[in-house]
Amino acid sequence: MNFLSKITPRIVAKSPWLYRINAGSCNGCDVELATTACIPRYDVERLGCQYCGSPKHADIVLITGPLTARVKDKMLRLYDEIPDPKVTVAVGVCPISGGVFRESYAIEGPIDRYLPVDVNVPGCPPRPQAIIEGIAQAIAIWRARIGEAA
Amino acid sequence: MMAFLKILLDNLRKGPATEAFPFGEAPTPPAYRGKVAFDADTCTGCKMCEHVCAGGAIRFAEDDDGLHFLIWHNTCISCGLCEYYCPTKAITLTNNWHLAHPQSEKYTQIDHGTVAQCRCTECGTAFLPAIPALMDLAYRGQNDRTKALAGMCPDCRRRATLSGARS
Amino acid sequence: MTDTFSLLFAVLIFPGGLFVIALGLALKGVERRAIARLQRRIGPPLAQPVFDMIKLMQKRTLIPDTANALVFLAAPLLAVASMAVAAALIPVPGLYAPDPRLGDLIVLFYLITVPAVALMLAGSSSGSPFGAIGFSREMAIMLAYEGPILLAITAVALHAGAEMGQPIALSLSEIVAWQRAHGAFLLDPWMWPAFVTYLTFIPANLGIVPFDIPEAESEILEGPLVEYSGPPLGLMKLASAMKAVVVLGLGVALFFPAGPEGLAGLVLFALKCLGLVLAVAVLKAAVGRMRIDQAVVFYLKWPEALGLCGLALAIWHA
Repeated sequence: MNFLSKITPRIVAKSPWLYRINAGSCNGCDVELATTACIPRYDVERLGCQYCGSPKHADIVLITGPLTARVKDKMLRLYDEIPDPKVTVAVGVCPISGGVFRESYAIEGPIDRYLPVDVNVPGCPPRPQAIIEGIAQAIAIWRARIGEAA
Repeated sequence: MMAFLKILLDNLRKGPATEAFPFGEAPTPPAYRGKVAFDADTCTGCKMCEHVCAGGAIRFAEDDDGLHFLIWHNTCISCGLCEYYCPTKAITLTNNWHLAHPQSEKYTQIDHGTVAQCRCTECGTAFLPAIPALMDLAYRGQNDRTKALAGMCPDCRRRATLSGARS
Repeated sequence: MTDTFSLLFAVLIFPGGLFVIALGLALKGVERRAIARLQRRIGPPLAQPVFDMIKLMQKRTLIPDTANALVFLAAPLLAVASMAVAAALIPVPGLYAPDPRLGDLIVLFYLITVPAVALMLAGSSSGSPFGAIGFSREMAIMLAYEGPILLAITAVALHAGAEMGQPIALSLSEIVAWQRAHGAFLLDPWMWPAFVTYLTFIPANLGIVPFDIPEAESEILEGPLVEYSGPPLGLMKLASAMKAVVVLGLGVALFFPAGPEGLAGLVLFALKCLGLVLAVAVLKAAVGRMRIDQAVVFYLKWPEALGLCGLALAIWHA
């Protein structure tokens, strides 16, 4: 069992499935996320990543947007549907600090007020390589987390 | 369909176009707008950058040590307005994009620069010195007199100029 | 006692169960890699499907409040079990001959449809609107492709029966044995319509673009699988990987079982599968998804006509 608990996190960390939540983003970061996934130049599938359509399949959740008041409850409900262990990555300055929308009446963010964020990838939007860098950090955190759980 | 097959064949022939990135370096254009860098030695303290900053990332604070420049990279949108409006280009955007960080470092993503105050050679009050570049601009080159004036606080400088002081 | 043991061995280890799982996951890995290359990407490691499977087995299982928990959890097991048994029905020349008590071609045909039924059960029991849409789409496309495939299999059975002097040959072992002795059906122009029908059936049954409409992940979020997580999701993915091997294996057994016996034959079989998988990769990289009505009309028009044609040829030739 000890052997297993050592070897599985390493294998499991090779299969992080990504899920995106748009918490009121302007779509800039979402375009960059789509670019990261779809364009051969970045090829995030090389890390074993795969975008999945359902929150229940996800391991790493990428959140974009400043968490608008309207989307807050829905977003938190969606977040709860992702099975543990999960890793949260805030993509773009909006979920991290509010960015240009900070202190707006329509914004409930920053997002770490409501859920535990693990990795921040600032930028407006961050370039795909920066997102991949953030995902790589998230994978490292995820591996450690599985090791703890096992 | 045939056109598509030709594209696929070409793709196979050309081989992967993927960057080495997470396992190697990623090419970055030199003009890429990334992390903001600040040079305290050339700052004149005009605070224009704070005024134009779209994300509210730049803050100035003043105390006895001098003028403190603060930028929080987590709310900087790399728009480049600060660089554009900075009269002495003390603030520049580097092409460093390695900004991803764990949550524990969220509030340490800060760059801090202090423009030190100096003492007036006449009366001893603290004031922000004008940088040499600015003095060059104002007096079209410097001589001993302008250098002496640069060491005085605004009040003393005015007095010295009006009294026609020769030193 | 040894009888039970050999049956269990056939279903659980070789050629069912473990062997099919290993081959299915390997083919999946090759397919993903091949698609990546066609798109000028590097792609995941070849063992990626194995990593995915181990990961899914570790995750938590969530059961939605709206779901019928029993059916919801039974559907993946049903899919995997049916595929393990179906694989045990396909003869491997020189290594394995299926026990006639397990069933014949008709049972195999039914078993191959079970994963689709399990997918429908999964979609309808999950209590999610996406699942329900996936369920209705799966049902529609299944009704469309079952006709042609039945015609193709019947044509082979009739043809083989006529050659062997029986009204109809329903034992896959006999069909394979006859072909190995007298030449594969693939080389017989009379069987070409049935063969092409079988080829068109593969993408719809395996949920491959342009017929992956029931599991369209970009529009209905993988449809019936939307509420699954952890081990049941893994089993569902496993069942689809196994189905690829079984369907390709049945195709090879029906039309082209030529080649050496024993292990070399097995390697040749894997290579034949690999060839088909590469063709599938090209298809996946080259075309987009059809609408459900287009797909249903397509299947009721062309493969159905081809299948009828093949059946008529087989009857006439007999």
